Amino acid sequence: MSNSSEVKRQNVFQWFANKWTREPLFSTAIALIIMVILQTLVLGFDYDSFGSWFQAWINNWINILRNNAGIGIIALGMTLVIMTGGIDLAVGSTLVATGALAMMLLDTGTKGLLGMLGITGIPAFLLTIVLVLVFGYLLGSLIGVSITKGKVPPFIATLGAMMIFRSVTQHFMQGYNPKVPTEFLQIASFKLGNYMIMPILYWAFIAYVLYYVSKRTIFGRQIIAVGSNERAARLSGVDVERVKLKVYALMGLLVSIAAVIQVSRIGSMDFSNAGRGMEMDAIAAAVVGGTSMMGGRGLILGTVYGMLIIAVMNNLLNLFGVPPFLREAFKGFIVICAVLLQKKEKTS
Amino acid sequence: MIIEMNAIRKSFDQNEVLKEVSFSIQGGEICALLGENGAGKSTLMNILGGVHQMDSGYITVNGYQVTFDTPIESQKTGITFIHQELNLINYLPIYENMFIGRELKTKWGSLDLERMLVETEEMFRQMNIDLNPETMVRDLDSSYKQIVEICRAMMTNASIIIMDEPTTSLTDQEIERVFKMMKTLKERNVGIIFISHKLNEVMKICDRYVVLRDGSLVAEGNVNDVTTNNLSRYMVGYEVRSEPLAKERKIGSEILRVEGLTSIAFRNIDFSIKAGEIVGVTGLLGDGRSELFQSIFGAEKVSAGKIFLNGNEVKIKSTTQAIKKGIAYLPRNRKENAIIKDMDIIDNASIVTWPTFSWNGIINRKKHIEIFTVQRKALRLKMGELTDRITSLSGGNQQKVVLAKWLAASPKLLILDNPTQGVDVGAKEDIYDIILKLADENIAVIVLSSEAQEIIRVCDRALVMYHGNLQGEVAGEAMNEHTIMHLATGGQLDVRKGERSVDE
Repeated sequence: MSNSSEVKRQNVFQWFANKWTREPLFSTAIALIIMVILQTLVLGFDYDSFGSWFQAWINNWINILRNNAGIGIIALGMTLVIMTGGIDLAVGSTLVATGALAMMLLDTGTKGLLGMLGITGIPAFLLTIVLVLVFGYLLGSLIGVSITKGKVPPFIATLGAMMIFRSVTQHFMQGYNPKVPTEFLQIASFKLGNYMIMPILYWAFIAYVLYYVSKRTIFGRQIIAVGSNERAARLSGVDVERVKLKVYALMGLLVSIAAVIQVSRIGSMDFSNAGRGMEMDAIAAAVVGGTSMMGGRGLILGTVYGMLIIAVMNNLLNLFGVPPFLREAFKGFIVICAVLLQKKEKTS
Repeated sequence: MIIEMNAIRKSFDQNEVLKEVSFSIQGGEICALLGENGAGKSTLMNILGGVHQMDSGYITVNGYQVTFDTPIESQKTGITFIHQELNLINYLPIYENMFIGRELKTKWGSLDLERMLVETEEMFRQMNIDLNPETMVRDLDSSYKQIVEICRAMMTNASIIIMDEPTTSLTDQEIERVFKMMKTLKERNVGIIFISHKLNEVMKICDRYVVLRDGSLVAEGNVNDVTTNNLSRYMVGYEVRSEPLAKERKIGSEILRVEGLTSIAFRNIDFSIKAGEIVGVTGLLGDGRSELFQSIFGAEKVSAGKIFLNGNEVKIKSTTQAIKKGIAYLPRNRKENAIIKDMDIIDNASIVTWPTFSWNGIINRKKHIEIFTVQRKALRLKMGELTDRITSLSGGNQQKVVLAKWLAASPKLLILDNPTQGVDVGAKEDIYDIILKLADENIAVIVLSSEAQEIIRVCDRALVMYHGNLQGEVAGEAMNEHTIMHLATGGQLDVRKGERSVDE
């Protein structure tokens, strides 16, 4: 009797060990579950009824998800960029540049670009979104061209772009405080039932689309091929330059979506500070989710988990009342731990 | 020194790789360790080198039992493992490479470059090696890199050296150089374990042989008592063919013609190939044959000359274009140029043909699997799940997967660059069969190889290159190892003997 339960325990353990080593998402998912349990415990059960406890729990979650939707979307693009063996440091600056364009177009004051043309209301919003997305796509393509045609290493190209985009934006937005029409804020603040969950839905939708792209499309498979072995990909007829260009352009597009969400959520943007350090958060989320900085390996779902782990941890630190300056340290700790725990590529 | 490995067992997960294998080596002998890919050679040597630990069994050195938990312990005993991928740093000169990890210091703690240089020179003198120690490693060809590694091993007073397929990427001349070095070592009472697929080399240089098959020792003895046929039979477990395979075939119209093709790596190349022909291209290292065909495939630039496909002049600027025009190129050095290690088997086998079974860039998974399942049977692939990593396969099966991706593209012209590199005897025959079948299907096949024997067995005629020039063309009787080697080393064809030259 005891013998058979022993065997069973052995099996469970083996199943676990097997999953842990074989499935890259498994360890990330376990870490996320642990974080969620911790967070639930810390939130406490000091409520009148189950209903009110559940309400508080849900509200807390919606807050976490909504606050991280923008960066979550950027982290998804970053995953694809890193999978090609590259990196994009310019996301924060692209966010500011595209956000600034959105606000200039929408401004209800005398300098509002669309207002001057007499376009207001819904058409103005739609036009703004289209123009901002196109602008983001172009900025991404610009980076992509310098990397593919100019053969500038991604780190350098995006480091340069990071400085240029922000500095130019700051220069042009100097002393100019555009007012965004309140109706525009509905894009992020529209309530479904009692919940402001639009940004979460955008994030989920984009995550699903990119998941599908990475798993089921030629482009998605080519990203892996390029990142894993560029030479072999080229010799297999993959247009390596085009794949890279498309990835950086897509990154720019995703950043501009995040910019629209951010502008419509807050109604303003601090051009000198918004998006600073965002590239590092996005990279951290991707890495925690199992993306290899060497390229070739990465999972969209893993990045979603990674983002959630970092977000829940921030929330926990908040609930624990950890001093703000120490929080970054915890983030750094989590990133290193995540990589330590992940299955390592065998060197021999 | 004598090392004995007794009743070694080793399993990875459920997979038993070594089943009570015993092996011994002593100073002053060269022992060939033979077997197909996956026979357990590497695992056995990795145990001796301290990389893996055995499950049971024991190792003795001069009669005393030892354990090697790390590569360093094994090295301290005097065992040096020279891996197939050389561990040299390209951007350092030879003499600094010789002392990596055990650098000589001055009394101030800085590197004593002078003494390192002097000691390396002394070493080279003793070993009769004509090399300037100040040469950068990146400027050396593969054979000299191999020699530098061997010298480095000698400087650490290695008494047993394991050489894992040291000659795969070497030309015959370079192989001679390495063999000379091995003989010198033997005279100095060093024991060498020589892992190779090339049986002729084994016959030439080795004293003893040990053959592994499926994790068991199946044969051992003195090399003088066996023939290559015996050895290959031990390795695969059945008789291996060696007769020429080329036969009369229906030859169609001209597929490819190049005129005056020139780049940095080759000059003024003219030749043509017709549908259903198998043409070999061979030469020594630096002959430019890979560069030539990579240029035709659009992966490298051409500075002058014309390329005609089916009689029409074409300009091919990218590999994507080349594939659209029906050209396929299987590159040499599978690991660097063909294998995408982060993709599974099925994706590796279909990267070229994704567009043919996708709609607006979305891959039709069902069709994808259907197509691959057919190929998998036709190519006799030994593999696990479709979604296993490509790296889980043996070398031969990896090569078949790479071949599969090109066959799926149904090319009109198939260029195979060293198609049997690092492939075991069984898989080699499979690949030859595939080549012949393709020619029967009216595909023009070009086989690039440094092994003259391979060319002679499979091809209808052969082009021989030397330093970027097309030195001559041989067919029929003239296509023999002697003539090919004569041309490959820069000799001219003697027209009076009836051998024809391409330049006429």
